[in-house]
Amino acid sequence: MRRGLSTQILGISGKLLVGLILAFVVLPAFVVTLAAFNDRAILSFPPTKYSTRWFTRALTYRDFQTGLWNSLVVTAWASTIALAVGTGFAIALKRYRFRFKAGLEGVLLSPLIVPHFTIGLGLLVLATGIGAARGFPVVVLTHVIVVLPFVIRSVYISLQNIDERLELAAASLGARPGRVLGTITLPLLAPGLVSGWLFAAILSFNEFTASLFVTGQVTQTLPVAMYGYVREFADPTLAAVSVIYIAVTATLLIVANTFLGLGKVLNVEQGR
Amino acid sequence: MLSKAVDLPPPASLPGAAASPRGNPAVRLDGVVKRFGAVTALEETWLQVEQGEFLTLLGPSGCGKTTLLNLMAGFLEADAGEIFIGGDLVTATPPYEREIGIVFQNYALFPHMSVAKNVGYGLRMRGVPKREIAERVDAALALVKLTGFADRSPRQLSGGQQQRVALARALVIRPRVLLLDEPFSALDKNLRGAMQVELKEIQRRLGVTTVFVTHDQGEALSMSDRIVVMSAGRVRQLGTPDQIYRHPQDRFVAGFIGDVNLLPGRLEACAGERATVAIRDLRREVAAGALSTCAAGAAVDVFVRPDHLGIRPAGEAGTLPAQVAALVYQGTHIDLHADLDEGGRVVVRVPGQGALATYAPGTPVGLLVPQGGLVAFPPEA
Amino acid sequence: MKPAIRRRPFLPLFVTPAVLVAAAIVAAMVAILRYSLHAYVPGSLDVGGFTLENFSDLTRPIVLRALRDTVLICFETALITLFVGYPVAYALVRTRSILLKSIILIIAVTPLFLGEVVRTYAWTVVLGNTGFVNASLRQIGLIDRPIQLMFTELGVIVALVHVTLPVMVIMLAAALAHIDRDYERAAQSLGAGPVRAFLTVTLPLSMPGVVAGFTTAFAWTFSAFATPQVIGGGKIGVVSTLVYQLGLSSFNFPVAATLSLAGLVLALGTMWLVRRAARPLEALGGH
Repeated sequence: MRRGLSTQILGISGKLLVGLILAFVVLPAFVVTLAAFNDRAILSFPPTKYSTRWFTRALTYRDFQTGLWNSLVVTAWASTIALAVGTGFAIALKRYRFRFKAGLEGVLLSPLIVPHFTIGLGLLVLATGIGAARGFPVVVLTHVIVVLPFVIRSVYISLQNIDERLELAAASLGARPGRVLGTITLPLLAPGLVSGWLFAAILSFNEFTASLFVTGQVTQTLPVAMYGYVREFADPTLAAVSVIYIAVTATLLIVANTFLGLGKVLNVEQGR
Repeated sequence: MLSKAVDLPPPASLPGAAASPRGNPAVRLDGVVKRFGAVTALEETWLQVEQGEFLTLLGPSGCGKTTLLNLMAGFLEADAGEIFIGGDLVTATPPYEREIGIVFQNYALFPHMSVAKNVGYGLRMRGVPKREIAERVDAALALVKLTGFADRSPRQLSGGQQQRVALARALVIRPRVLLLDEPFSALDKNLRGAMQVELKEIQRRLGVTTVFVTHDQGEALSMSDRIVVMSAGRVRQLGTPDQIYRHPQDRFVAGFIGDVNLLPGRLEACAGERATVAIRDLRREVAAGALSTCAAGAAVDVFVRPDHLGIRPAGEAGTLPAQVAALVYQGTHIDLHADLDEGGRVVVRVPGQGALATYAPGTPVGLLVPQGGLVAFPPEA
Repeated sequence: MKPAIRRRPFLPLFVTPAVLVAAAIVAAMVAILRYSLHAYVPGSLDVGGFTLENFSDLTRPIVLRALRDTVLICFETALITLFVGYPVAYALVRTRSILLKSIILIIAVTPLFLGEVVRTYAWTVVLGNTGFVNASLRQIGLIDRPIQLMFTELGVIVALVHVTLPVMVIMLAAALAHIDRDYERAAQSLGAGPVRAFLTVTLPLSMPGVVAGFTTAFAWTFSAFATPQVIGGGKIGVVSTLVYQLGLSSFNFPVAATLSLAGLVLALGTMWLVRRAARPLEALGGH
C-alpha cells in the first residue's frame, strides 16, 4: 500500500525530527556535565581524566556560598510573598468584577513582555532615589514582580477547574464567605498553590537579568555570582555549579509532574 | 393553594420542613425584577409557593427559570421587588442565612470530602454538636437509601448515587425550601424515571416545599403540584399540570407543553365564553380566550394533540383531506405524518401497529378532527 | 436599612497587596521616564535639569545599530524557535504514551526553569573553540581548524533559540491541546492525507497559538542579556547589553533609562505589528 508506506515514512521522520530537537535541548546539559567531571582546567573535549575537584571548588568558593545563601533567602521570601499576592489577585480576577481590574491585570502581567533589564533598571533608579539601593527588600521586591505573573497564571488555571457551584452549594448550606474560602476554595486550590509556589521558587532562584541591576556585593544572588565568575575565570567550576543546578531543577520538575501534573498546570493537556 | 403533603407529620427522626409561622406562604415574590446589563432576564414577577408544595418552573433555556431560582437562593440580587421565605423578608439576606437547600444539575458534591462529610457540611456550619451531626447524617443517608456509603468519596459513586448524596446534603439542614436545578438532566433515561418517583416520594413524606427547575415538560407534568410556564423572562401561565396541559392560556404554552398539531382555521363567531372556528368546512367550538379581540373571518391557529386526531378513508364526510407522508414506528403506537391538502403537516398517533400495513406513504386519507379538546389562538404576529 | 448582600467578600484583602506590587511596577517605569528626561551629571547618581538631550543620543550609530540588530536577532530567533518548537509541541500533545508525554514535557520544559546564566555558560562549553562541537568535528576529521562559533551572531541565535524553545512549546501545545482530534479525523475521512489534513485543518486552527508563541519568544529574546553578552562577547551589541554598559558600568542612568525606554517601545511596537499582521492568520483559527 503506497499510502501506508508514505504515512509510515512520515511518521518515522517526524519522530526522528522530534528526537533530534530534544537532543538539541539536552545537548548543553549533557556537555556541561562532561565538562564538570573533566580534570583539565581548560574546557576541552573529550575529557581525558575524570575528577570531582571542580565540585569541591564550587562548593567552597566564597562568592558561591554567599550567593547560594542569598538566593535561598530571596527565593523563600519572594516566592512566598508572590504566592500570597498572586493567589488573592487570581481569586479576585476570576470571581469578582471591580474597578481598574483590566488595568491592574495588565500592569501585573507586564513583566512577561517588559524586558527584565528595564524592570531591573527601573527598580534600581527608584531604589537609588529613596536610598534603598541594593538592599534585600529591593531584591525581594524585584523577584516578586518578575515571578508574580507565573503565580497568577498557575492559580488562575487551578481556579478555572473549580466549579463555582461548589462555593454556591457551600453558601446555601450556611457557610459564610470566610468558611467557604477555608473549607472549599483553598483546599481545592491546594495543588495549584503548591505548583504556583514551586514555579515561583524555581524562577526566582534562577532570576538573573533584573537581579544583576538591583543586587550589590552583599546581596548578590547565585546567578549573579556565577555571571561574575564566568567573566573572570574560564575553568569548569561553573560547569560543576551548572550540573548541580540542572539536577535540582530537573528533580523538582519531575516531582511537580508526578504529583501535580505539569501538563495540567501548563494547560497543554489534550482536551478530548 | 392546597397542599396534600403538609398534613402528613414528618417521621420523627427525619428532617422535616421547618414549620412555618402562621401559615405564611413558603416563598413569596413581590414584583421581582432581574436585569443583566441591558437584558431583562426576569420581568416583574409575582409568585407564591405554598407550604409543602412541589412547584415547577418550566421553560426553554434562557426563559428566566434559573434566574428565578438563583434569586430565591440568594445567589443573585433582585433589581426590584421583594422576596419572602416563610414570611421573612430575605431580599438582601445572603444565601448562607436563607436556610434553603439546593441540588445542582451536576450535584456540586465537594470532591475533597467523603459522603458523610458532604452531608454533614451544613450542620458543621451551624455548629451542631458532633454526635447530633452523626445521627442526622445517618438518618439522611438512610432516607436516600445510601446507608453504608458514608466513607466513600463522591468520585466513587454513580450519577444516581451522587444525586442522592446531594439531596441528603440539602435536606439534612431542614431547609425552609428545597431548590432543584435540573437535577435529572445528567442521568440516563432509565435511572431518571426511577429517581423522579423516589424524589417525589421523599418530598411528600417530608412535606418540604420544593421549587423545581426543568426544561422537560414530561418531568414537570408528572411531578408537580403546580407548574409555572416561563418564556423570555416572563411567567406565561401558572396552574396545575392538568390546567396547563388541557387549557393552555397562550400560543407559547400550547406549543411547549406536549406534542401538538397546528391546523389553519378561520374565526366564525365569538359569543361570550365560546367561539366557533372553521377548519375548511368543519365547525368546532373552542374557548373564546384570546380570540375575543379577533374579528369574525380572521385567520386563527387551531391546536390539537396527535392522539386526538383520527384517520379515515379519503373522502369520508366530516374529515380533512390529507396524504400520508411517513409512518414512524413507536412501539405501542404509530406516528402517522400526513400533509394537509391546504398545506402544513400533522402527526396522528394511531394505536397498535395496524396502520403500518394499511397506509403506505402517498395514500390519500381523511383526517378526523375531534369535537372537544381543541384550543385556538390568533396567528403569530 | 437592611444590610446589603456582600457580593465580593474579602475584595480589599485580595486586591490591596496586588495594588501595592502594581504601584511598584508603575513607580519603576515612572522613574525610568523621569531619568530619561533629565540631564546626566558625570560622576553622580543625581540628575541635572530637564532635558530632551538623552533622546538625541538614540541617533548615535552604535545605538541605532544595536536597535536594528536587536529586532533582527529577536525576529530570527522567534521564527526559528517556531519551526523547531512546533513538531515538539505536536508530538507532546498527540503522543498516546503517558511516559513518552512526560519525558517530552520534562525535556522541553526544564530549560525554562534553568537560569539564563547556566544555559549560556553551557552553550559556551558547546560552542567554544575547544568546545564540544569543534572537538567532535575535529575528532572525526571533518575540520582541522576550529570553526568560530563563539562571538558570532549564529552562536547567539542558537543559544537564544534554546532559551525560548520551552515557552514556545508550551504555548503551541496549549493551542494544539484544545483542537479536537476529530477535526483531523474528519479531514482524513474526507480523503485528505495526513499532511493535507494537518495543513488544511490543524495548522490553521493552531494559528492563535503560533502568534502567541512567536510574540512571547520575541519578547523573551528581547529581554535576554547574559546570552548576547557572554556568547556575543561584546561583538554583538543589543539593547540589553548597551543598557547594562551605560547603567552599571558608566552609571549613566539617564541615557540607560532612555535607551531601555526606547527598547520597550520598540519591543511593544514590533509585537503590536506582528499581531496586526497576523490577524488574518489568527482569524483562520476561528476564535
